[in-house]
Amino acid sequence: MTEKQTTTSAAFWATLKRDLLIAFKKKNDIVNPFMFFIIVVSLFPIGISPESDRLTEIAAGVIWISVLLASMLSMDNLYRSDFEDGSLEQLLLSPHPLFFLVLAKNISHWLVSGLPVVLVAPLLAYMLALPEEAYGTLILSLLLGTPIMSLLGSIAVALTVGLGSRGLILAVITLPMSVPILIFGTLAVQSTLNSQSPAGYLSLMLVMLSVSVSLAPLASAAALKISVN
Amino acid sequence: MWVWFSKLGSPKWFYELSGKWLPWLIAAMVIFMTIGLVWGLLFLPPDYQQGFTSRILIVHVAVAGTSLAFFPLMFVAGTITLVWRMKLADMVAKNAAILGAWFSFITLATGSLWGSVMWGTWWEWTDSRLVSMLFQLFLLLGVISLRSALEDSDTAAKACALLSIVGCINVVIIKYSVEWWNTLHQVSSPVTTDASSPNGPEFWIATLIMIVAVYLFLSVSLILSTRNEILERERRSQWVQDLVLKS
Repeated sequence: MTEKQTTTSAAFWATLKRDLLIAFKKKNDIVNPFMFFIIVVSLFPIGISPESDRLTEIAAGVIWISVLLASMLSMDNLYRSDFEDGSLEQLLLSPHPLFFLVLAKNISHWLVSGLPVVLVAPLLAYMLALPEEAYGTLILSLLLGTPIMSLLGSIAVALTVGLGSRGLILAVITLPMSVPILIFGTLAVQSTLNSQSPAGYLSLMLVMLSVSVSLAPLASAAALKISVN
Repeated sequence: MWVWFSKLGSPKWFYELSGKWLPWLIAAMVIFMTIGLVWGLLFLPPDYQQGFTSRILIVHVAVAGTSLAFFPLMFVAGTITLVWRMKLADMVAKNAAILGAWFSFITLATGSLWGSVMWGTWWEWTDSRLVSMLFQLFLLLGVISLRSALEDSDTAAKACALLSIVGCINVVIIKYSVEWWNTLHQVSSPVTTDASSPNGPEFWIATLIMIVAVYLFLSVSLILSTRNEILERERRSQWVQDLVLKS
């Protein structure tokens, strides 16, 4: 049998393309967490107060917490179907570094679950009476924060991929870890509202993003090797 | 050094050695605990601002300081599990997670007891130590629930080891970000009395004795629960069966 030599970058792009293709074939997996996000955000004004002053105060926190919850839901199908049909084992057997393949899967997950949330955020921010000048900061903080959630969540999903029911354990493991993102994301928006520069918080989030891009896929890869024997 | 290290990996060797240590550790623990508790809770002069409430701090500070040791401990144990596949490290890590959760809980409980008198509230989000201790408790509970969810003990060992390492790094980040968050949100600072108050030296000596006592308590409970774990996991091996027959 002749083996076709592939480069690691070809494998990376192939994995990314494959995952995006699967995501667009199974639209439910994208649409449901997205709908969940919008519905949760719209419950807050009903539960707390319809006054715009109050809403302005909580807007950033509400959007950020809903993002975290929605990412928990979408996270669940990151490795599951691959685990069930055996393609995850093929991935582990591949000669290419698992780091890049995991990274490709995480990027595709972010593109279909994180990015739509970022794009719809201004609309929800408007509904929550967030002043216009904070939109830019909110979007930037979400752009930096949602990929961190995908990368961190990926570790927990990889650790629990062999379990039958794991929706809740995923949240129990991942949500406490997302505290720093929540703090800096909301503080960035808050400081814009107080007409201060959010640059400090955003650059801290950038630091966290670059650290998690370089380290989290390593942990995910190790976790996948542990879970798939 | 390496001979000693590889010996440590053998549960049987650890069981025998810890059996020799235990009486001494327990004796030291009882002595320090008695002195610390009796002196700290019954005889220590009242603080000039806090009154007798300051006595709670003797226990609280000791337990809180000790509960910070659990994630580093689990980090080391997790690294040993992943790198050298040492079973003993995992047995220690398993019990460390449970003990750590209890210690964090007791820290929060004694802290709120003290806070309910001194700050007039059981819970204060503006105190960063309370908040980060709460999230440390959540992270430890996450490790415990991961272990109970995974049935295969080998997978559970490695998975929990990895999660402990990630969690340990995370706890540090959470601690600093919560502190940052607080300095910006804090309106009034209720925490002024414990660090800067001009207490006599006996307050600090009592605290020190209590810290040693709690660390000894931690070692004793960790060793006892690890010995239990060894007996349970090695129940099919010859030496455990001999041990059971003898007793």
